[in-house]
Amino acid sequence: MLVTSSLPKFAIAAGLSLSLSALALAHHSFAAFDVTTQKEITGTVKKFDYTNPHTWVWLDVPNDHGGVDTWGFEGMSPNYLGRRGWTRTTLKPGDKLTVTFRPMKDGQKGGMWVSGKRPNGETLLMGGAITDP
Amino acid sequence: MMRTTQLILLGSVGAALAFSQSGGAKKYTPKAPSAADWAALAKLPDFTGVWEAALGGGGGRGRGAARGNPAAGAGGGAARGRGGALAGPSLTPAYLAKAKEMAAQPRPEENETANCLPPGLPGIMGQPYPMEFLMTPGLVTIVIEAYSQVRHIYTDGRPLPEDPDPTFYGASVGRWEGDALVAETVGFAQVPRGLSFPYSDKMKILERFKLTDADTMSIETTIVDPEALTAPYSMPPRTLKRHRGWTIAEYICEENNRNFADPNGKAGIKLANPLASPR
Repeated sequence: MLVTSSLPKFAIAAGLSLSLSALALAHHSFAAFDVTTQKEITGTVKKFDYTNPHTWVWLDVPNDHGGVDTWGFEGMSPNYLGRRGWTRTTLKPGDKLTVTFRPMKDGQKGGMWVSGKRPNGETLLMGGAITDP
Repeated sequence: MMRTTQLILLGSVGAALAFSQSGGAKKYTPKAPSAADWAALAKLPDFTGVWEAALGGGGGRGRGAARGNPAAGAGGGAARGRGGALAGPSLTPAYLAKAKEMAAQPRPEENETANCLPPGLPGIMGQPYPMEFLMTPGLVTIVIEAYSQVRHIYTDGRPLPEDPDPTFYGASVGRWEGDALVAETVGFAQVPRGLSFPYSDKMKILERFKLTDADTMSIETTIVDPEALTAPYSMPPRTLKRHRGWTIAEYICEENNRNFADPNGKAGIKLANPLASPR
């Protein structure tokens, strides 16, 4: 069972990353990101830029000094996402979110969005199926 | 004083007329479309509507081809795109030397498209965003969502310009060959255009647009360059799907672009000022 269930998952993940890489290449390369690594971070949405050429999810993440740091995650464009079920209010300020991302190579707080997860378990992908064919 | 100014103005108008007449042998004067011209459109294959590259159909491809070692595909070797092995461009000795010189340089991580400069033809036709085809008498217009660009393919019988200014998309004319629209484009500036090999200002790009079923279009692209290529180079064909319910959206790349390529081609991202975006 484990083997059979992990195979399709792998296939889906491979397909997704292939389509994401093809897409993101249109505007820029992956060179600024460490694509060999994925990290997870939890915080509160500060702002969702539903803008071109990329959306940006800004996440306030508690730091060790009792304050918060704002992290930025680059996502697909509104043109792409808008045809795949996203809207400018899919993420709202105050939403709790765990973001999986590929970190910046230069150590800045941020990276490339891979997926998001809400406290209720809902997963937010940016490479979903077209909702308006 | 007044008289002198008028004389100068007259003189410059005269010069302009003479100039247009000197190139007048092939001058083409478009005429207003007639009712018959509009009716004739209905007999052509219907390309109108919004199209996007079909996933896995060759759209949005290109890192291997666009960024690969330009020398690797030369001399009969294979340049590999995402779709598999393809015959690579066969370069003339002079352009093979150029390609090797390019390959010996440190490879830039990024090009000017990260700074919002659109890629030229043919790269602009392979973006992961839709394109809308419009058909009017003597003209096929392609509205490209990526970077909010537009191409005009004149099908009114005008010739290609003899000495076009080099541009991103060049000057295009087209003709109908059966059910296919065959476009020829010349006049290319040296800008990022997703090609893996050096090209000359003599490059010509041929595109063959054809419906393969009701809502599927194939685009075959062939590059001819008598200075750079020893034979025409055919790119992997692209397959587009029509989305009747879609409209073209705005894409203002400069709106909130945090990516950049520095002058040495190093990639970076500006993460400061999270509240700076306009919406």
